[in-house]
Amino acid sequence: MPPKVAVKPLPKRGGLLAGVSDNLAALMIGIKYFLNPKRFSIYYPKEYPELRKGYRGFIILNKQKCISCAACARICPSAAMKMIRVPVPHPKEPEKTVMKQFPVINYQRCIFCGYCVDICPTEALYHVNYHDIVYENLAEMFWDLDTFQKEPEYPTAEEGIPVRLMIHEEYGLLKVPAREKQG
Amino acid sequence: MSVLDTVASLIFYPPIWQLLILGFGGALVVAMVAVWFERKAAARVQRRIGPYWASPRLGGLMHLMADMLRYAFQQVVIPRTVDFWPFIAAPIFGMALSILPFAVTPLTSNPNFWPLPPALMEYSLLVALAITTLPPIFIIVSGWAANNPFTIIGGVREAFIILSYELIAILSLFAPAVAVGSLNIVDIVQAQGLVKWFIVLNPLAFLAAILAVAMSTSAFPFEIPESEPEVVAGPFTEYSGILYALNMGGAYMRRFVFGLLISLMFLGGWYPIVPGEGFILGYALPSLVVVVKAVVVVLAISFLRAIYGRYRLDQALDMAWRLVLPLTLAGILLALVEAYLGIF
Repeated sequence: MPPKVAVKPLPKRGGLLAGVSDNLAALMIGIKYFLNPKRFSIYYPKEYPELRKGYRGFIILNKQKCISCAACARICPSAAMKMIRVPVPHPKEPEKTVMKQFPVINYQRCIFCGYCVDICPTEALYHVNYHDIVYENLAEMFWDLDTFQKEPEYPTAEEGIPVRLMIHEEYGLLKVPAREKQG
Repeated sequence: MSVLDTVASLIFYPPIWQLLILGFGGALVVAMVAVWFERKAAARVQRRIGPYWASPRLGGLMHLMADMLRYAFQQVVIPRTVDFWPFIAAPIFGMALSILPFAVTPLTSNPNFWPLPPALMEYSLLVALAITTLPPIFIIVSGWAANNPFTIIGGVREAFIILSYELIAILSLFAPAVAVGSLNIVDIVQAQGLVKWFIVLNPLAFLAAILAVAMSTSAFPFEIPESEPEVVAGPFTEYSGILYALNMGGAYMRRFVFGLLISLMFLGGWYPIVPGEGFILGYALPSLVVVVKAVVVVLAISFLRAIYGRYRLDQALDMAWRLVLPLTLAGILLALVEAYLGIF
């Protein structure tokens, strides 16, 4: 025996007055937001979203902590990270040099997944909280060992003011300046 | 008579001046402002920015200029499968017929500045309304000639929408003529005077007229023939470049024409200014008042994009035949009662 079909009653259609009042309410909402929009779009180069600590932006190497385990190069899903061999002074006999492996990164391939930072046993890799940087040619996106140790310049922060989106009871999202104005 | 005089007399020859210079040029500017306002208003209500970076001080108005230039110089791609001559001719004829009602719409009561001789102005409302019914035919033609499922569906939708709005548009704009007892636009505006505007005396017909204009120019709750998520661009899917601009601009031109008619019929025309003698008092100021009222109507209809979704075709037809047509007939009845009471 098939299961009994439960018939839901259709929601009652409003009459003419309900239709008129609904349309008027919609118009009033439209006019309210038209007069006081409280936009949450970010005027990008003038304003920029300030991202929190822990945002997966550019990856920087702290060379002193690196133990050459190559875990980062092995975990990298897009093969952006490679190990290179670099001569470094021997730890006990300073006049000798030994070859040691360090990671370098190719930002043409990097997908900013952060696996390398997560797997690094000595926290030698870390993120900075921005990733909107433009390069003029592709060759600049290969980072050698020296570039990999410096945090890149962030021109957006010099031109724009940081803003942050916060949740508001009435408006849902609201755009507020991220920091107090200085001076 | 020098060449300059000839050129000047040709430019200021009333039909050419009113139809081409004021009609086409002015309507182009109004269409640009209407498109810009539509985008900015929708963005404001949805708390976005809209066009901005092209000219931040003007609020992105130059963006529309760039759009227009792009349409003007884009390559016109004509697919091999289309029916060539109707495909080319339909947007051109549609645009020409869209701006033709300017040639019979008086913008002042001074007979020196009427676009037609006074004897021909007797039936100006009838002629203007008759011409406004023609351009949709060319939308259907362009949909059929493009020979593509999307365009044909769009054309059929346009045909359904025409069936529903045409009667409402004509009857609702006739209500003031019924009350006044004249088909001359100038007589109707003069009868309204300073206070007896038909938006107050006959709000039913005014509401019906606004709804009919929204339907006829595919303003938002009735943007059914060229609804983007369903049929790509409706009848205009295969068009590109200047032909597409003519097609899309035609809708805004018709919206402006209907706006002019509504501002003359319902909003008191050139009042509160009483036209006098001379160019400034007799033509420039009154026509400016009429155009400003028309632009307000156009922008109000464009504002609906920000708040409404899109009706289904059957919902729009249902609303038009079961709700708006009785509203229009009630408006006509109200006009008859007013004529019987002798308000005018």
